[in-house]
Parts: sequence; structure tokens; C-alpha cells
Amino acid sequence: MTKALEDLTVLEITDDKGMYAGKLLADMGATVILIEPPTGHAARHVGPFASNIPDLNSSLLFWYNNTNKKSTTVDIQTDTGASIVRDLVKSVDIVIESTPPGYLESLGLGYSQLSEINPKLIMTSITPFGQTGPYRNYEASNLVLMAMSGIMNSCGYDDLPGSPPISCDGLQGYATGCNLAVIATLTALYHRDINQEGQWIDCSIYEALSGTTEAAMPNWYFNKQTPFRQTGRHHGVVATPSTQYESGDGKLINGFDIPPRTVARWDALISWMDETGMAKELKDDSFRQMIRERSRDKDKIDIIVLRVREFIKSMPAEEAYHRAQQIRLAWAIIRSPEETLQDPHFAEDRQFFGEVHHPETQQSYKYPGAPYKFHKTPWSIDRRAPLLGEDTLQVLHDLLSFTPEDLVLLRESRVI
Amino acid sequence: MDKPLPLSGIRVLDFTHIVAGPQCTRILGDMGAQVIKVETEQALDSLRMSPIGIGGEAGPNRSGLFEYFNRNKLSVTINALHPSGLAIIKKLLAVSDIVIENFSSKVLERWGLSYDEQVAIKPDIIYASITGFGHNGRDREYSTWGPTAQALSGLTLMSGLPGERPAGWGYSFLDHTAGYNAAIAVLMALHHRNNTGEGQWVDLSQIETGMVLTGPQILDYTVNNNPYRRQGLPAGNHATHPKVAPHNTYQCKGIDKWCVITVPDNQHWGKFQNALSSESWVHNEKFQSNEQRIKHEAELDTLIEQWTINKTPHEVMHWLQSFGVAAGAVQTNADKVERDPQLRARDFFVEFLHRETEEYYETDQFPSKFTVTDSSVRQGSPPIGADTLEVLQTVLDLSTEEITSLYEEAAL
Repeated sequence: MTKALEDLTVLEITDDKGMYAGKLLADMGATVILIEPPTGHAARHVGPFASNIPDLNSSLLFWYNNTNKKSTTVDIQTDTGASIVRDLVKSVDIVIESTPPGYLESLGLGYSQLSEINPKLIMTSITPFGQTGPYRNYEASNLVLMAMSGIMNSCGYDDLPGSPPISCDGLQGYATGCNLAVIATLTALYHRDINQEGQWIDCSIYEALSGTTEAAMPNWYFNKQTPFRQTGRHHGVVATPSTQYESGDGKLINGFDIPPRTVARWDALISWMDETGMAKELKDDSFRQMIRERSRDKDKIDIIVLRVREFIKSMPAEEAYHRAQQIRLAWAIIRSPEETLQDPHFAEDRQFFGEVHHPETQQSYKYPGAPYKFHKTPWSIDRRAPLLGEDTLQVLHDLLSFTPEDLVLLRESRVI
Repeated sequence: MDKPLPLSGIRVLDFTHIVAGPQCTRILGDMGAQVIKVETEQALDSLRMSPIGIGGEAGPNRSGLFEYFNRNKLSVTINALHPSGLAIIKKLLAVSDIVIENFSSKVLERWGLSYDEQVAIKPDIIYASITGFGHNGRDREYSTWGPTAQALSGLTLMSGLPGERPAGWGYSFLDHTAGYNAAIAVLMALHHRNNTGEGQWVDLSQIETGMVLTGPQILDYTVNNNPYRRQGLPAGNHATHPKVAPHNTYQCKGIDKWCVITVPDNQHWGKFQNALSSESWVHNEKFQSNEQRIKHEAELDTLIEQWTINKTPHEVMHWLQSFGVAAGAVQTNADKVERDPQLRARDFFVEFLHRETEEYYETDQFPSKFTVTDSSVRQGSPPIGADTLEVLQTVLDLSTEEITSLYEEAAL
């Protein structure tokens, strides 16, 4: 079957900030050539590692974010290496890079230089703060960007006095920056499809994250208010009840929509609770009336939360989750990532996880699948992330007609 | 001359509501697509009822949250449950490139607008559906809000202090994320349509867009059998991979004021020492390698916080950054809008005219700069039904009489 991006070749010069962008394109069929320094891409040095043994070819962070890519080692800081990249750029559609502002230009690999070689080139530069402005050379990390963008100011605890704002584990800031960088790149691709014209895109992760804070920004633009953090639920300018409920088997339920906002869901909840006699005073019509009138009586809400807390505590998490969803209450189990592997809806019915073969260990491992299901152009992982330099020979031979002898010389001079 | 908008000429029929769907169509609208948002007075987009009022009062045409996600769009009110209304929707679909919706999985089918029925009207239509669970599978009728999807995907559990309950995310991060992934999907589908003339259906599950963000944690389990649910995880704001120190939030001067400081290696520790040269402890033997700093992390964090506590977050940030140390203030919305020189220098904020109050407000732009094309905020969000007449006249060439009769039979 045809893949949506199979006509595209992408040259990627990234570190951990930009690698997810290349994965999104590669998994939809683009040929992505990952240019790595001979010492290996930054993520190869970061764990967790397969079998917990650090090795350039065993980083799981690298494995996940570099599926389907071709690894080509080139030391772009050498003149020969930079000239190899310039030659490769002649036959690529897109360059994705996440080096510091001005760095590629200093090597003769900036947009102005590359677009002379290939005027239709789309070049996407992903940096923490953008190519311009007073912070452009500020040092960043995922945590720094999560802090400055305002995301952290909305995430944390309202029930742990003095506790700090919290950033989610993983490189969530970088991944979100990459989502927006790929959107930007694809709009430029659409423009090129129609107008045969390339361009340079300057993506700031800081800006991408600053627009990923839901009600925080409009609260300021229109009301000059700053929402405060609330554990596991929406930030607010008005406090809302806790949504974390412990189940009988010691798990946590996110009990969204308590009390329910519609009478239909209220009635369904009360009749469910009444099956075991746990609705108690909630059966009194004054509660139903509060729901119907959409009013908020704090004493009543406290009683509702108390009774629901007792109710959820009386059953296993799976039962609370499924029964609630069956009456259209959007409750959830607070799961650990690996627990999603056991959910038959995703694992069996949606076939979300895929097996990826690793010839080195002669084993296949389950990987998370796609963020979207295309009905005609498949997403797939056809090859595990490359070993360091695995495709150097093939890429330089196929695209630049290098001979094996050329490659020996380059290797001896440590260019590749 | 103004730079062109890359998606000008693209028409999107938008049946979305709340955040996930509107986030996607906001991006397409910013990029120049004509986004026609189909609404009904009977079932308002609940974002129109948000308490964030504009101009001092809230209301369906003065909702700040609705404004934020629906600028540039046109609002037409059409009753899809009325046969004449449905006929109008089908006429609009026949001249659209993209249909996007985030209803629960059976709604469009019930209207008679399943993907197959859409194709019968417009053979190369690109259809993106966004739901919590996707359009197939045993739990497809279940519903999600952001916090529901975050909890089920694992992202809630991955956020918190060790030994405490999860802090999770303080808003619907996965509404944004599902919207971003939907935008990626329709743009990829457009490229395929440009190449082959073929449209298609893309089915998005909001929970799956979250599970995708737990990849390394899933692999740690499927490859190494290390479950994420184990002692010490999540690690708060301490680094997990690579394990480096210092890497944390530190309290600053004032109420609930924080900064973050991250030192990835010895080279940067040297810069940190230069920045704190007056503090004798930075030269203490037990902090001179990353391994030792991790071993003495709690003590190190305490010493750093003794230094930050008398400074504002921005003082800490600028001082450390002047030495090349990655530090940042935990900023509020006000910090970003009122005091941030970087976002201002890059024109991240733009003024627009709010349609109901006819007053100017600021908002934020699409977060990238382009050398050839542009994105723009051309006008504010539409009052409900404000564009019905114009869209039916200009897009469908309906006469005033035809439109009047549609109003009279309650199809609009």
C-alpha cells in the first residue's frame, strides 16, 4: 500500500529535542536520513538501556524516537563532512535540525547556503527559544522549557502545602515542540506542492509550549487572572473538589464530573449507588434539584464527594471505571504506562501496539503504535532504530555514488 | 506585500466542540483555511459557556475560552436533524476539502454522514474524527475529558512527587495534543491527496495520542520488564534519564515563586560554580562529579534553595544564564504576556478585534516563523450563527428567499 509520505526524503540533524519530529515523518513513509556524529546521536547516550547495559545501540529512548530512520555518520564539523551534507541536500525535500542558532551557518550549512543548492528545500529549525530575540542563546533543558512556558505553573498539588510545580516525566516539552514543528513543516510542504517553493521555518519550543496551557492564557488576556494548580484536575481560579478516589483494590480512580453536570447522569449514578444501598441521603430530591438548577451548594457537594468516595472504595478499580463509563461518566483508572498493554480495547480491538523485530537479539518487542489511524496510507514501523552508522555505506553510495574505497578513506580520516 | 497563507483555498467543514477538535481547526484557520464551524443553538459548544467573560461579562458570544480556540472561524447554525438542514450540510460538504469532528463515535453515522456517505458526496474528502477511544473497539462509546485520557494513557501517573499521589496535568494537555496530531494527520492526508487525488478517513483516539508519549517507559517494560509503577517513580522534578544533578525546582522569594535549575554534566557544573563563586559549598569535594552530586542530591538541593530563596525566579534565571547555566523561572500567564522580552521580540502576541464587543484584545499566534508563508489572526471568534447568511450566499449561492424559507422551517 502507498504511504502518505513515501515520495519524501528528509535529512535530520537533531539531538534529543528534534528526534521525535523525524519519527513522525519516518513512520508515515518518508525516507529519513539521520546524520549522526561518529560518537553517536545525543539520545544514544541516554537510558533506559536494553538489559540495563549502557551501549550506543541499546538506548530505549533512541530506539523509540528513531524507528525507520537510516543512520549515516558524518562529522559535519570537518570540511569534508560539511560538503557531504551539502551534496546530500541536493536530493532531499526537507531538513529537520535542532542545533543552536547560527551553528549550522558557521559550518556552511545554514538555510541561506543550503537553499542555494536546493531552492525547493524546506528547512525546519527547532530550537528552545527560536533563532531571534534576547533569549535565543539561553541554555535550556526540557524542564527549563516546561517551567518558562507556564505549563508547570498549572501542574502540581493543591493538597500538599508548599509543594512545587511539577513537570511530567519524559521529554514531553520536546515532543510537543516536535508536534508543532511537524505541523509547520507540513503546511510548508503543502505550499511547495502547489507553488514549487521552499522556505525556512524557525520553530521555538518555548512558544509551542506557551500556547499549550489551555485556560491559562485566555484567563489573562480577558480577565487578568492566573489559575492555580489543583491535583490531577484542571487548574482554576475557583477551587473544585478533588477528583482522586481510591478503589477497593488500592488503585486510584480519576472521578471526573462529580457531581455530574446533567440530571440524566446524576440519576444513573444514584441508581447505581443504590444497588448496594450506598446512595443514602443523596436520594433526597434536594440534591437532584441542585444538579437540575446547576447551582453549587458547598455542603451538598461535600456530602456527594464523601458518599462517592465510600462507594468507589467498595469495589475494584476496573468495575468502577467500566460501570461509570457505561452510564456516561468519564471516569478513568490512573494507570501506569505499561498497564495500557493489558487493555483489550487498545491492545486487541485497536491493535495499538506493534511488534518490532530486533535482529541483534533475535527478539521482537512491543512498541506503542500511531497517534492516528489512516484508513488508506498506513503508519508502520518497518525497521527498528538504526545501529550507529548502519546505513552510511548505502546512503553515500545510493545518493552520492561513493565507492567502498572512498568510504575507507573517509573512515580513516574520521569524517564518517 | 503580505506573505501568503499556505492553506488559503482549503475549506474545512468543522463539527468540533470543546478543545481537542477546535485546537486542530484553529491551526488550519491560522494557516489560511476557510473554517466553517457548524453549530446549533439547541446544543451550544460548551466552551461558549465558559466563565472567562470578555468585556466584563460571560455569555455565548463573550467566552474567552471559546475565543482562544475559535478565532478566524465562521459560524453557521444548521440543524442537522432537520432534513433541509442536513441537505445544506451535504451541499457544504460537496465543496469542502476536509471534515473534522470530535463527537462521540456514532453521531455522524446517525446523521447519515458516515465516511462512506461523505465519499458519495465528495469522493476525495479528507475526514478526521477525534474521540477518546477511537471509532472501533469494545469501549468506543466511552467518553473522555482531558484528565480522563491523561489518566488512562499513563501520563497522569508519570507526573508527581515520589511517594505521593500523582499530581498529573493541571489541564487538558491531551486536548491540545489530540488537536496537534489531528492537524498533522490532515496535512499528511492533503499531501497524499495532492500526489494521488485520493482522500481518506483518519481516526484519532485521544488516549492513543497520550500513549504515544510514553514510548520509552513502555519499552522499559516490554524490553527490560521494568514497570513504571515502582519505588522512586515518578521522581518529581529530578532527572530520570539521564540521571543528573542538580535538576529540580527551587523555591524563590515571594509566595509560590519557583525556578528550575538543570546541570547536565561537569562542564556545566563548572559554569554553575562560577555563578555561585561566593558560596563555599560549590567547591566541596562531594559535589565534584555527577555521581557524587546524585549521591548527595538532597543536601545539594537544600544548599541551592538557600541561595535561591532570597532572589526572584527571574533574578536566578538571568544570573545563571549569564554564566551559561540552564535555569528558568516558573512563569505565570502574566509573566509571559506582560513581562517576557523574548515572546514580545518575536511577535508571539497579536491584537485582534473581538467581534461581539468590537474591542481589541491580545492573543498568541501559531508558534513558528516562516520565511515565505505566514499564519495570521484575521478576526476574532464568531458570535453564534453570525456567518450563516454570508456562507450560504457566497459558498452555496443560495438566494435570500431560499435562506428565509430555511429559517422559517427551522432548518437553520
